[in-house]
Amino acid sequence: MEEKARLSDVGEFISEYSAHMMGCGVHTSRVIRSARRIGVAYGYDVKISVFQRTIILTLFDRETHEHFNDVVEVQPLPISFEHNARLSALSWKAFDEHLPLSAVKEEYQRVLESPAIHPFFVLMMVGIANASFCRLFGGDWLSMGIVFSSTVCGMFLRQKMTGAGINNYIVFVVSAFIASLCASASLIFDTTSETAITTSVLFLVPGVPLINGVIDILEGHVMTGVSRLVQAGLLIICIAIGLSFTLLLVKDSLL
Amino acid sequence: METFWKTIASYNSSTWICQIVIVLVAVILTVWLLRKRSRAIVVGMKLFLIALYVWIALVYYYVYCSERSYNSIMVIFWLVLAVSWLWDMVSGYTTFERDGRYTKLALVLLCMPFLYPVASILRGMSFPAITSPVMPCSVVVFTIGLQLMFSRKVNLFIVLLLCHWSMIGLSKTLFYNIPEDYIMTMASVPAVYLFVRDYFLSGIHTMTKPQVKYMRWLLAALCVGVCLILVWTLYLEFARGIL
Repeated sequence: MEEKARLSDVGEFISEYSAHMMGCGVHTSRVIRSARRIGVAYGYDVKISVFQRTIILTLFDRETHEHFNDVVEVQPLPISFEHNARLSALSWKAFDEHLPLSAVKEEYQRVLESPAIHPFFVLMMVGIANASFCRLFGGDWLSMGIVFSSTVCGMFLRQKMTGAGINNYIVFVVSAFIASLCASASLIFDTTSETAITTSVLFLVPGVPLINGVIDILEGHVMTGVSRLVQAGLLIICIAIGLSFTLLLVKDSLL
Repeated sequence: METFWKTIASYNSSTWICQIVIVLVAVILTVWLLRKRSRAIVVGMKLFLIALYVWIALVYYYVYCSERSYNSIMVIFWLVLAVSWLWDMVSGYTTFERDGRYTKLALVLLCMPFLYPVASILRGMSFPAITSPVMPCSVVVFTIGLQLMFSRKVNLFIVLLLCHWSMIGLSKTLFYNIPEDYIMTMASVPAVYLFVRDYFLSGIHTMTKPQVKYMRWLLAALCVGVCLILVWTLYLEFARGIL
């Protein structure tokens, strides 16, 4: 009976752990490897099927031949490289140091409760990154300034709309429209305005799902990889729609 | 440059009566908000702001600035701002409640739209080819002043769009020799600092990375950077005047 309870505890923890990893932008094979590693640390075999929105998990105790099955939903979470790295390290810690489950759970909670990146810092860094893209693509200093300011406006709107629970696709269309509209002010100056308009929406490009999608397909997780790429593709279409609104309205000769 | 002042002259000579009415309504609504704030007056001020932004978009940019290249950008930009105020009115986001922290600065900013014509006249220009209190830059300064005066809850999205406009204004001073726009930029730098500090750095996100104190430094560095650009453009303006 005690063994069965332990199996359930470990199984429930691995379900939550792997769903969180998938949600915060970890590629599929890493989620599977980390989940299996934790299972092995407690003497269980972990069989896991990962989909875009759900994870199906079975834990098998070789000694008692008991099974634990669970289907867990993957919640969309903010992309976090920190959670990715720390949760992966946690699986190694559990494996190498044979930590009791309570200690692993405590460490897991600590990772989840670790301070978030300040939203203003995100705003500034995204603005600087986009302005740097503008420079890389041949934009001059004035265009960089306009791109920085436009990105801050677009990103702030994105933060607020996401916080208000508005549909992600609508958020992308509106943010792309506002950022590119602000950047289109560069057209009134003798500057590299086309570079400014183009680079003003780059902060919306879903880089992590694109990379993860390719990695997943290359590593044989074709279904997850394709769904990630489809989702990323839809977001890119939304960016294109937002940008097209601006171009149609202010610079229709481009279309 | 010539087109710029020609369109302003045309706008002023045709609309000066309407501009006087708009200024009077703005003054009356602001005084009412200060003296006896009520829900009706708050809604009235928001309706006025929507109408004012639509006026700038359609009357100023679409009708009188049609000669300027890419005037449609400005029309859409100001319509977006009007829509933002409309959303604000429907959702009741901005409450126009005073907390009395920035009263002096807000009063200075609220008076600044009247500085625009004075600045033009001091530069040796005469009516109708002068900047007036119902032009985009003056409206930006007025809105920032209004938000500072009633700063308990501020719509930061509108503030950011207005600050983006100020940055464009700073570029215009350099490209098109319109020094009046320095007023707007000078007004927006302290306003941005105060608004962003209150919104993001007022201790709500204490457990964040980096810590809030470093964020304050980052914000201060950003404002100092904008000030340095401002000083540099002013220097160029003076140098051009001397040469």
